[in-house]
Amino acid sequence: MKAKPRILIVEDERTLCLLYREELEKEGYEVTTVLDAASALEALEKSDFDLIVSDIRLPGANGLDFIRSVMERWKTVPVIINTAYESYKQDFATWAADEYVVKSGSLEELKKKIRALLEKRHVAA
Amino acid sequence: MSQLRKDPICGRWVIIAGERSKRPDDFRQPGGERAAETPGFCPFCPGNETKTPPEVFALRPGSSPADSPGWQVRVVPNKFPALSRGAPAPRTGEGLFVRMDGVGVHEVVIETPDHGREMSDLSLDQLKDVLRIYRERIRSIEREKQYRYIQVFKNKGREAGASLSHPHTQIVATPIVPKRVKEEIYGAERLLAKHGECAFCLVLRHETQRGERVILRNEHFCVLAPYASRFPFEMRVNPVRHSARYTDIAEDELGSLAETMKTVLTRLKNSLSDPPYNFLIHQAPNARMTLNGGRVVSVDRSYHWHIEIIPVLTKVAGFELGTGFYINPVSPEIAAQTLSFEAPPAS
Repeated sequence: MKAKPRILIVEDERTLCLLYREELEKEGYEVTTVLDAASALEALEKSDFDLIVSDIRLPGANGLDFIRSVMERWKTVPVIINTAYESYKQDFATWAADEYVVKSGSLEELKKKIRALLEKRHVAA
Repeated sequence: MSQLRKDPICGRWVIIAGERSKRPDDFRQPGGERAAETPGFCPFCPGNETKTPPEVFALRPGSSPADSPGWQVRVVPNKFPALSRGAPAPRTGEGLFVRMDGVGVHEVVIETPDHGREMSDLSLDQLKDVLRIYRERIRSIEREKQYRYIQVFKNKGREAGASLSHPHTQIVATPIVPKRVKEEIYGAERLLAKHGECAFCLVLRHETQRGERVILRNEHFCVLAPYASRFPFEMRVNPVRHSARYTDIAEDELGSLAETMKTVLTRLKNSLSDPPYNFLIHQAPNARMTLNGGRVVSVDRSYHWHIEIIPVLTKVAGFELGTGFYINPVSPEIAAQTLSFEAPPAS
């Protein structure tokens, strides 16, 4: 049986973590959620992931610094920035990520971008 | 006593501090701007070309393939642009509230493959290439007539708005002429009508005769601490030859501009311990202008392109925001004295 694509969600709001897990599992992905950058790095050390979705405002760390440090070690893993703030687009550190999604009431854009990036990596659900 | 000074072109007033004027040492930053660098992956470094959108231009001496290492200067569109390319729809709105689509161009010029260098560290040939690429990119974007203004600017250092220290410049084209540029244009047109000559040329002649605010002068360029400087150690790089557009700059002038920029940026770095700064190129719009009264002008006679270099050493606060007045704690005469000499590199 084909393995499910594995997605790491870095999001400090527990309710959003639950929502993302539920919605993305329905799409056929295996989802791990963590609440901060340190836990995310730990998870990346322990397991392989096909894609990371990360918030920028994280407790104890700047999400952009986190993404840049991820890119140094796991350069081929695609990253989607998922933030409530459009304004971070002005920060070129966001370019370390592959996509930028502004949080909204719908997860359709996020799902679409996850699908496209995984297809590019030939890891579809 | 402090002085109120009026900018001769745009009419903006500033307050220049008097006897309590600060000295260069008051602005030196321990460790310099480099100390603020956060280590990590850099999307502008060679080998990471897939992290940027496809390049729109690159200087590749070894004819390496596009979007691969081997470049010396690389230009890419903004990956997450605030303005998108396209034809603007007409302005709409309700009553007084006007709006239009966020149409425009936003490109990033990556000045060198070397992450640890900065503009003042580039060789004269490299710097000339970068300055030539600004000209070529503006010329290319200007062909799309919907973009009425093209702004080239650089943010160096976190305090100046740069999040990555890898040297880069930005080019943004907008479908409207910005207010600050319009203020200069209106002032220049008014003074042309009064004196029959470009006001920037008049200022240059006057300042050269007086000398007290001249930082550097060579055959093609004159760098001034503007009479009504808004910020400490502000500099204005003026071409000696009258020209409204940066795109008119000739090859020998590009070489001279590279030398001028390298000199003044190095002096700034050494005198003030590598401060953050912004620089911006102001040139005539990519369109004819309609002035108050409905007169349409090309501004070729009245406007004079220039580069403003603004070290970020003070914060703009309530008074400046509320009044449009700036309070500058360093007189332009002291700034010119400080920046007229080669200072040794800060240890």
